[in-house]
Amino acid sequence: MARARGARPRWRRARHERGDGTRSDGDVVNASVARVSSGAALTGGGTADGARPRVGLVVGAGGLKCAASIGLWKVLRREGIPVDLLVGCSGGSLYTACMALGYEADHIAELTARLWSTGLPRRLHYRSLLRAAFPRLFGRRRRIGLLDDSPFVRTVAEGIQNATFERLAVPLYLMATDLETGQRVTLSTGNVAEAVRASVAIPVWFRPWVIDGRLLIDGGLSDPMPVSVAIREGCDVIIAMGFEQPGHDNFGSLLGLIGQVTAISMNNLLRSTFAFYNLAHHAEVVPIIPPFDRRVSLRDTHLLPYIIERGEAAAEAELPYLRRLLGARAAVAAAPAAEGSR
Amino acid sequence: MSGIGAGREKRVALVIGAGSVKCAAALGLWKVLRREGIEVDMVVGCSGGSLYAAAMALGYDIEACEAMTSALWNRKVTARRDYASLLGALLPRLFGFDGHFGMVHGGPLLEALSRPFGGRTFGDAKTPLYVVATDLATGQQVTITEGSIVDAVRASVAIPYIWSPWKIGDRWLLDGSLSAPLPVDVAIREGAHLILAMGFESAYPRRIKSATRYAFQVNSIYTNNLLRANYSFHNLAHHAEIIPVLPEFDRPVGLFDTRSFPHVIERGERAAEAQLPYLMQLLDGAGAGRPAAVAPGTA
Repeated sequence: MARARGARPRWRRARHERGDGTRSDGDVVNASVARVSSGAALTGGGTADGARPRVGLVVGAGGLKCAASIGLWKVLRREGIPVDLLVGCSGGSLYTACMALGYEADHIAELTARLWSTGLPRRLHYRSLLRAAFPRLFGRRRRIGLLDDSPFVRTVAEGIQNATFERLAVPLYLMATDLETGQRVTLSTGNVAEAVRASVAIPVWFRPWVIDGRLLIDGGLSDPMPVSVAIREGCDVIIAMGFEQPGHDNFGSLLGLIGQVTAISMNNLLRSTFAFYNLAHHAEVVPIIPPFDRRVSLRDTHLLPYIIERGEAAAEAELPYLRRLLGARAAVAAAPAAEGSR
Repeated sequence: MSGIGAGREKRVALVIGAGSVKCAAALGLWKVLRREGIEVDMVVGCSGGSLYAAAMALGYDIEACEAMTSALWNRKVTARRDYASLLGALLPRLFGFDGHFGMVHGGPLLEALSRPFGGRTFGDAKTPLYVVATDLATGQQVTITEGSIVDAVRASVAIPYIWSPWKIGDRWLLDGSLSAPLPVDVAIREGAHLILAMGFESAYPRRIKSATRYAFQVNSIYTNNLLRANYSFHNLAHHAEIIPVLPEFDRPVGLFDTRSFPHVIERGERAAEAQLPYLMQLLDGAGAGRPAAVAPGTA
């Protein structure tokens, strides 16, 4: 089956520039970020004091493959490309949370390995199973999930040190979906670990998570690569890492079939939303979709170095364009920014 | 196809999206089109909408469609569980599980589809017909344009987990709403200038009481978000003039809510009437003129 191949050409981006590079409604944020990633001399001057374009980094849903964002992060840090805003969805929320805390790539890789060795659910969530099978006996609760997620929650909370959104070095937005209304929910206040848990609540496997009285599930159900948030928050250049879910070749079990139906829905939603934002062109979106020449499933922890390497290679491939874009934008913004921005 | 709409500049397409029972609202829209003598050059259907798209393309009259509707959205169609499938899902090693799973036995559905469409092919359609399904293996949208109409509709309505996927040629096909809940893209590709797009958002159950409901809820969330994303794209791209016809239901319409049909059809009629002036303006404005020719169903 030529499934992945056939899908690839959709990811060609529109390489046209928008004329107005003068937005600067995020000066405060820019200043704070300049402190974190101070080596931002990539455009040879003119990049400091808010004149440069506002850069957003989006890491979409993709399970274990989201670790490719570690490779991307490595490249961005090495090149001194500043990131003003982070948006994470599902698996991507784990990595964007770490980036927002200012962790370096190596540290994030370590945490990932730890999460996948100790944090992965090993046991089934028996109460959920009983509830699903005998709703009358065990209570008609809506929080049904096959896996016991407590080790995952614990490891994530340890890894990100119980941080709150308010104390992060870079503004972070994590995406979830309201189970009742199907609407996209942007989480940006309170406990980060809780938000991560809500964002990764893969239906069927993980139980939905309650935040502020709302029942939340995987952000991938509403917006698998949420460039929308970065646009709304005023980014000029959006580096968007996203992943197509792998299809299953044989559906050996009901869960395999559910996996396939979910992959179909998520991939089609991903393409549709990207097509819209690419066409609308509210901001320059640079999609980074790392190609994987083998199937990566949630359990393939041994593939982590390979995944990170793919992310790095994909980021490097976009680097010349990104540099040109940031350089050009900084130049455009430098002149009229002073009067045009207020 | 014959020279339908040959004397007219603007090609009009009717797209009926996924929406199970609510798709019957298409009959209301159809009534309005016939009353106003507006001819349609192609019909595109997805999932529940493919039933009405096929009926219109074949030139059935509205009464026949109403009869078809009550015969199809009927508890009898879903009453029979597919025990072999269920056993296969529970004990895959013992009974075998090949992914062609559906909780409900497909027999009664096929029977219900054979009544209106048995033996009919796309070649019999008086108006070009396109039925949209989704490839189970690749997830890609598949547009069916030939062969048996029963097969095409059966594939298009193959709601995951409820009815098993359907094989056409060497491909297993699923519900079209997984790839294109309101497939205006097909009409655009086929050269339509004016697209009447009737779409529906899936309703969310007020309470998610069981695992099955939960699976439905997850599907509905995907479909609704996909519908909005697709529609936003086509609305922005504006390859053709898309006229959304979105019936509003002031009460929830259940899956087998046969008593609601008159209400559903009436809502479709109301929604179509609301867009009529705009449609007329578009048709007349370009000097296209309203053809006095036959509307689908009267030929």
